[in-house]
Amino acid sequence: MLPRLIVQLAALLSLLLGSRAHGKDRELPRPSSAWFEAEFFYHVLHWTPIPNQSESTYYEVELLRYGVEPIYWNPIRNCSQTLVLSCDLTMQTLDLYHSNGYRARVRAVDGGQHSNWTSPNTRFSVDEVTLTVAGVKLEVHDGIIFGVIQLPRPKVAPAGDTYESIFHNFREYEIEVRKVPGRYKSHDKIKHENFNLPVPRGVGEFCVRVKPSVSSRVNKEVWSKEECIVLTPQYLTVTNLSIIFAFVLLLCGALAFLLALQLYVQRRGTLPTALVFKKPSPFSLVSQLSCPETQDTIHPLDEQAFPKVSPELRNSELHGSTDSGFSSTKPSLQTDEPQFHLPAPHPLAGGTLGKGATQLLENSCSSGSSKSTDSGICLQEPNLSPGTEPSWEPQVGSDSQDQLDSGIGLVQNPEGQPEDVQGGSALDHVSPLGSEVAAGEDPAAGAFQGYLKQTRCPEGRAAEAGGLEEESSSTAGLGPRFRTCVDAEADWPLPALAKGYLKQDPPEMTLTPSGAPAGQWNPPTEDWSLLGLTSCGDLGASDWSFAHDLAPLDCVAAPGGLLGSFDSDLVALPLISSLHSSE
Amino acid sequence: MQAQGVSLCLLGVMLFLCSAHARGLRRCLISMDMRRIEESFQGIKNAIQAKDTFQNVTILSTSETLHSIKPLDVCCVTKNLLAFYVDRVFKDHQELSPQILRKISSIANSFLYMQKTLQRCQEQRLCHCRQEATNATRIIHDNYDQLEVRSAAIKSLGELDVLLAWIDKNHQGTSAA
Repeated sequence: MLPRLIVQLAALLSLLLGSRAHGKDRELPRPSSAWFEAEFFYHVLHWTPIPNQSESTYYEVELLRYGVEPIYWNPIRNCSQTLVLSCDLTMQTLDLYHSNGYRARVRAVDGGQHSNWTSPNTRFSVDEVTLTVAGVKLEVHDGIIFGVIQLPRPKVAPAGDTYESIFHNFREYEIEVRKVPGRYKSHDKIKHENFNLPVPRGVGEFCVRVKPSVSSRVNKEVWSKEECIVLTPQYLTVTNLSIIFAFVLLLCGALAFLLALQLYVQRRGTLPTALVFKKPSPFSLVSQLSCPETQDTIHPLDEQAFPKVSPELRNSELHGSTDSGFSSTKPSLQTDEPQFHLPAPHPLAGGTLGKGATQLLENSCSSGSSKSTDSGICLQEPNLSPGTEPSWEPQVGSDSQDQLDSGIGLVQNPEGQPEDVQGGSALDHVSPLGSEVAAGEDPAAGAFQGYLKQTRCPEGRAAEAGGLEEESSSTAGLGPRFRTCVDAEADWPLPALAKGYLKQDPPEMTLTPSGAPAGQWNPPTEDWSLLGLTSCGDLGASDWSFAHDLAPLDCVAAPGGLLGSFDSDLVALPLISSLHSSE
Repeated sequence: MQAQGVSLCLLGVMLFLCSAHARGLRRCLISMDMRRIEESFQGIKNAIQAKDTFQNVTILSTSETLHSIKPLDVCCVTKNLLAFYVDRVFKDHQELSPQILRKISSIANSFLYMQKTLQRCQEQRLCHCRQEATNATRIIHDNYDQLEVRSAAIKSLGELDVLLAWIDKNHQGTSAA
C-alpha cells in the first residue's frame, strides 16, 4: 500500500516540476511579429520586442533556405545581442535573387527561458526587395539639365550580380522636379538611366528625385533623395561666344578693307614723276653759290655817266622788274645803286668804247653759249686774274639763234691790259651798254624784237668748278660770262636796267655813234649816260687783240648810231638806271 | 559557272532542311502577360503564406525538379504543372475570404488560358514529354501527397511565386510583358 502511495507522490512532483518549467517557457512571450526590410543586397529582419522584456532579454534568429536540400534551420549568432530588434542577414542571403527565398524565425531568450518562434508571414524572396537608386547626378550645359541615375552598387554583392543583371528587363524610372521652394511635379517616366530636363524659364535652384521600378515585377518602390542644382544666367554660352567671334571677324574685315582702300587712293593721288620737282641738292646749292660768285662780278656803272636817266624810268616797272637780266642767280639789281662795273672800254663801237675795254668776246659768248638764257647778260670771268673785271661787249647781230633774251653781253678781255681795263673799266662798262642803249633808242623806228636770252649760266658754272682762272683758260678764255646777245634781227639790244631786259633794235638800226670814231671810245657826252655798245663789225677795225680767238660776231652795229639812237630814245628805253660806270 | 550554280543549289537545300528542323525544334512558348498573375498573387501571398506552418517542406522542390529541366522539356513540364494546379490545388483549397477567393479565381483562369495555348503546341507535336519531364512531374505529385490535403493546398498556393518565376524565366523569349 505504502509503496504505491510513494510512487504516485513522486509522479505528481515530477509533473509539477515539469509543468513549472514548461510554464516558464510559456511565460516568455514571443515577439509579436517579424518582417523583412530589404533593399538591393541589404536584407534586415526586424521584429517587435516582447512585452515586459528585461535587460537580459535577447533574441535568437534562425534562417532556412526554402526548397534547397538539406533543409535545416541555421542559427545566426551575430544577431543574438541584447535589446537588439533587428538582424542583418545580407551575408546569409546572398543568393536571394537566384533562389525561391528564405524563411526566418526569431524568438526571445531571457535567462533560461525561450519564447516561441516568430516568423514573418511571407517567405523572404526577391519580391520583397524594395527598389531604390543610389542617387542622381545633375549637370547643366547650354540651358539643359543632364541627369544620370546612379544605381545601387553594394560592396557585398557577388560579382556579376548587378542591379541591371538581376532586373534585366523593364526597368523604369519616374522623375519629379521642383523649383525651390515649390512642390514636386511629375515630369516624365523614362526607361533609361540618362535623362535631360529642359530648364524652365528663370534661374534658381532646382531639385530632382527619381523612383525606380520594374514593370514586370510587383516590388515596392521608393523615391530617392532629392538632388538640387543652382542655375545661374549664362552669358558666355557657345552661341553667344560664336556670335561675338563672328562680329569681331566682321569688324576686322571692314577695317582691313577701309585701310586698303585708303592706301589705294593715296597711291593714285601721287604726283607724276614729271611734275615732281627735284629738291635742290646741297651740292647744287654750293655750285649755285659758287657760280654767282663768278657771275657776280658786275661792275657798277657810274651814275653820273647817265645823268639823263629820269627818275621815272628808274622807278619804272621795268626797272622794278624781277628779271635781272643776268644769268646769275644772285638777287636782281633792284637797288638804285647797283654795283655794276663795266669792263675795260671797248675800243670799237664808234669810239665810245675804250681800247681793249670792250673786246668782242661775243664769240666766246655766242659760240660757247649757244644756249638759251633767260636774261641777256653773259658774264665771262676774267682768266688773267680774279681782279680783272669783265668787259662788256655788244653782241649786236650775234648768234641770235641762241635765243638770247637780252642785249647785254659782258665778256672779259682775257689778254686784256689790266690797266687799261681798270682805267677804262667804267668806259668799258659803259661803252657796250651805251651802244646798246643807243641801239635801243632806235626802236622807235624799228619794231621791238624782243629780248635776247642770256647764255646759260651753267656753262660758266661747269667751267667754274675748277676755279675761276682754270675755267677761263679751259674755255675759249672765258669763264662765266655776262653778255647780252643780240638777236640777229635786232642790232642794238637795249641796255638792260638793273634787272630788266634790254630791248633789241631791229636789224636796220645801225649804230651811229655821236661823232665818236669807230673803235674809239670817247667819254660819254652828257646826253649819253648809258653804256655804249660796240658793234661787232668794228671788231676788225678795233685795236683788240683778243678777237682772233673769238668767232666774229654777227654784230652789226654803229656805235655812233647806237649812241644817237640811244640819245633820242633815252626816255622810252627800259634803262638800266641803276647801272653805274666805274668811271 | 556550273560549279557556282551547283553550290547555290546545295546551299538552298541545306537552308530548307535547317528551317524545317528548326521548326521542329521550335519551342512552344507561352506569350502572355505574367504580370497580372503576379499582381494577383501578391495580393494573397501574405495571407496564404502565413498559413503555411510546414516551413521546412517544399512541394515544387525546385532544386531537384525545376532547376534541372531542359529547354526541350519546358513545354511538357509547364503543361503538367498547369494541370496539377488546376486539377488538384485550386480544387483542394477551401477559401473563406472573398477577396482572396477572387484573386485565386483570377489566377486559375489565367492558368486555364495557358493550358489552351500549350494544347495547340501538343497537337502540333511540339510539346513532346520525355522521361525527365515525366519524372519531375511525378516528384511534385508525391510531395503533394505526403502532406495533408489542406496544408498541401495551402503550401502549393504559397509556392505560386516559384512557379510563376520559373515560367517567366523559361518562356521569356515570347512573353508579351
